[in-house]
Amino acid sequence: MSFEISQSFKIESASLKEVRVFAREVFKKSTIFEKHTDDLVLALAEAAQNIVKHGYNNQPTEDEMKIIIKFDSNILSMELMDKGKPVVPSNIKPRDLDDIKSGGLGTFFIGQIMDEVVFKTTKINWVNHLILTKAF
Amino acid sequence: MTYKVTEEGNIATVYLNGEIDMDVTEKAKEVIMPLIEAKKEVHLNLKDVEYMDSSGISVLIESHQQATENETKVILKEISKSVLKVIMMAKLEQILNLD
Repeated sequence: MSFEISQSFKIESASLKEVRVFAREVFKKSTIFEKHTDDLVLALAEAAQNIVKHGYNNQPTEDEMKIIIKFDSNILSMELMDKGKPVVPSNIKPRDLDDIKSGGLGTFFIGQIMDEVVFKTTKINWVNHLILTKAF
Repeated sequence: MTYKVTEEGNIATVYLNGEIDMDVTEKAKEVIMPLIEAKKEVHLNLKDVEYMDSSGISVLIESHQQATENETKVILKEISKSVLKVIMMAKLEQILNLD
């Protein structure tokens, strides 16, 4: 089985629910995702939240973010593209678990759930292109 | 997210319902924080919370910290399976008050 499905979303916190609904629909395509759906939805929604919160400082914009979910050769990839503030990958740090504060938790969750988290450097028409992958 | 608050003596129970994400965290804080500032012991009933992300977890952390500063406590009650999973992923089960 292989597929590639994409959808664009407004960049606002109210879109996060739509992102989750979209992802849940995609993951219904195969029972292979069944046990992982909640985690995968969380990882994707956290990445989308980071775009709204950090890429656009939660400010209104006409821009949209594009999400592509692909499955091929038993590798799931979830790609998020946006035109917000450029991400400097070396500045992204997950929360130190001994430091009890709220910042960085989303990044920590993404790292726990996915096998690989990469910012693609060659992108066309977008500023940031994040690719989250997991093998099944 | 919807919510209901009941009060009995010094205990305020907040029943949260639905999905807690970045879109509703301010609303959740507006409900919880005044109760903590009033030095109520706050019980957060999470039985009907179907989804919680890092923003929701942040509300739990900040509530816990605010309660400590106010010499009271926040206790998480009837935590749904999905919320418990996220709390454990954040390794907060030893830090937050889980009942």
